[in-house]
Amino acid sequence: MFESLPDTFRKHGLQADVRTLMLLRTCMEKELARTLGDMFFVLKGLVTTSPKEYGPFTKAFYEYFLSIDIKSGEQLDQAVIRSATFQNWKDKKWDYEDEAELPDVREQVDMFLNEVHTTSYDIQKFLSGEDILKDDDPKMKDEDSNEVDPMPEKLDRMADYRDVPLEELLRRMEEVAKQQKRNHRGGQHWIGQGGVSPYGNQGAAAGGVRVGGSGGGKMARRVIGDKNYYPVDRKRILKDDTIDIALASLKGIEEESTDIVLDIPKTIKEGVKQGGLFLPIEKEKKEQKIQVILLIDNGGWSMTPYIQAVTKLFSKMKRRFAHDLKTYYYHNTIYGGAYTDEQRFKFISIEKLLNFDKKHCVFVIGDADMAPYELSESSLADWRRLKNRYQKMVWMNPMRESLWRTGITLNILRQTVPMFMLSPEGIEKAVAHINGRGDETVM
Amino acid sequence: MAIQQIWTGSEQYLCDPELAQAFHMARVLGMPLLIEGEPGTGKTELPIQFAQSMDLPMFTYPVGSKSTVDQFVAKFDHVKYLRDSQTEILNAQRTEKGLDPLSLGGRSTENLDDYVMLGPGAQSFSHANSVLLIDEIDKAPREFPNDLLFALSHRKFFLPESGRIIETNETDMPAIVITSNREQELPTAFKGRCIYHYISFPEPDMMKQILAKHYPEANEELVGRCMELFYQLRKLGLERAPSTRELLQWLSYLQHLDIEEAMEKIDKKEGMGALVKTQADLKRITQLKNLPHV
Repeated sequence: MFESLPDTFRKHGLQADVRTLMLLRTCMEKELARTLGDMFFVLKGLVTTSPKEYGPFTKAFYEYFLSIDIKSGEQLDQAVIRSATFQNWKDKKWDYEDEAELPDVREQVDMFLNEVHTTSYDIQKFLSGEDILKDDDPKMKDEDSNEVDPMPEKLDRMADYRDVPLEELLRRMEEVAKQQKRNHRGGQHWIGQGGVSPYGNQGAAAGGVRVGGSGGGKMARRVIGDKNYYPVDRKRILKDDTIDIALASLKGIEEESTDIVLDIPKTIKEGVKQGGLFLPIEKEKKEQKIQVILLIDNGGWSMTPYIQAVTKLFSKMKRRFAHDLKTYYYHNTIYGGAYTDEQRFKFISIEKLLNFDKKHCVFVIGDADMAPYELSESSLADWRRLKNRYQKMVWMNPMRESLWRTGITLNILRQTVPMFMLSPEGIEKAVAHINGRGDETVM
Repeated sequence: MAIQQIWTGSEQYLCDPELAQAFHMARVLGMPLLIEGEPGTGKTELPIQFAQSMDLPMFTYPVGSKSTVDQFVAKFDHVKYLRDSQTEILNAQRTEKGLDPLSLGGRSTENLDDYVMLGPGAQSFSHANSVLLIDEIDKAPREFPNDLLFALSHRKFFLPESGRIIETNETDMPAIVITSNREQELPTAFKGRCIYHYISFPEPDMMKQILAKHYPEANEELVGRCMELFYQLRKLGLERAPSTRELLQWLSYLQHLDIEEAMEKIDKKEGMGALVKTQADLKRITQLKNLPHV
């Protein structure tokens, strides 16, 4: 029953669990996922939660279902060409001696994906599916033979697996997939093309797990062409909640009215005064809100070792302050502004950064370690302007505190912006610092 | 039985095949469809057009920064309830004195349901096969999506004040469409209960079809020129890239003009206000001599 599917997806940083399987099952029962192409869409809808996850998802999907391993930064085309699955398919599709006889490689990939994702049927006869499964041992070893099963001339039987429980079918498909070592055609057992096995494509099994489907070929092209799918960007699943606790101590100051509620104590008090005639009195419900600006150094090799810690803090911040969190990126230090995107294409000037409400808490995340000439006078002035505007500004440094005294630029910046280590303890200190500053008059 | 055929759009609305498939899947499974994507790509239009073309009752909840689940599900009108119960006391005194009692507007304080005002969520759950749009959920306070979790996964709203339960089943479940502009990340648990779809920006081919749906009469040459400029502008990396919505507005303006006049306006970059929405962008474009090739 695809037991290892959630695992594979989770390995790629996606959220998948038993519920995913249950839903997938429902989709199959409702005939939403009849083909591998459908399966791609169905699982995409169920598993992904942001366009960033389309990359990891595509990777996980092809790895799981077709053993096509997409390397980091690689496109599906390249991965397909490299894969054994494609080689086998090619060798069987054409009888060739020279690559030059074949169509263009791109066209080959198209054909391959189309075939994998879509199914054609030539239904003439039904065959009881249960009988085939009974005789078929999913644990049967795939003998390592170089012979290729002959492709049946014409398919004239069609197995009906509709009486076989879905779990059973899926479980078998999985077992078979594990055993399978080579590409199959015909026969009743292996996942392959043109057979009556319930788990093949281009086969003729009704109600089985069809691999391949309507519009599937088109979707494959889209996957390759869409820039959103690459590069693969993984989402971290966080486990320790220490950062959470530290951040929880961050108290907001700004009050915002959200709703009007009945002031019960006052209504009763006034009602008693009025001799028992209660007139409803309403009041505004006040809610506290924290505004956070995050400045992240996400460039340069020096930050690489800390990326994990930074990402962790970042995703925590995102969850906690999702409502009013502004994130900007810079490389080593700021020069007249920062960037709004991780790739650092979209620039935002320092004037704009200084334009926000001064009650914002600013967290700078970076190692503050760079060549001394990089920290120019104007860059330092930018930091000072930020600090002057936002009293609640702290620097979180992922570098160990014991190493700080050697950093020249670090110590210069530290004089401008209070610096704390990027650890749960450091965060607590930083938060305490921010809260302590909260009541001071600004400037 | 809910309408479960695949819906691919209407006369006015062209539904991208992937979106159609995701929407279909959501309806068949009785799960909400969460749509994200650039502004102006027709997220909100989907349920509206669907309800219109299938002639289904439609309920909309526009989310704002002050949205609460009470507004969405049902609100107990404490004030009215208090007023009515006070009036009842007053009426007792009035009858004693031989005066006519004051009207309670058909409500009875005995029946708490009279004081429950159903929000769009509860209303759509009590109408089988309706369409429910929760628009721009990313603008909601953080707790809002979390508070909806139970209702979405159990298809049930519980009104604590009156003890009433409004529920629906898988087949009668309204088609729920939730839109978001990704201004904030939604909780994972919430996303897990939705079918997720990201509307990618339409490719030129698709865009041509969209334009044809809206302005079947428009001059082909004009449409071609508009689209060329539009995709060029998008490539420039403006502060705010023009979206489908803006292109439609621009074209609607241009097609009222003579074809020559319209073309001239495009060449002189006049009337770009419909496409370009910030001062800095506008300045940049008018100064630019050559636009990048698409």
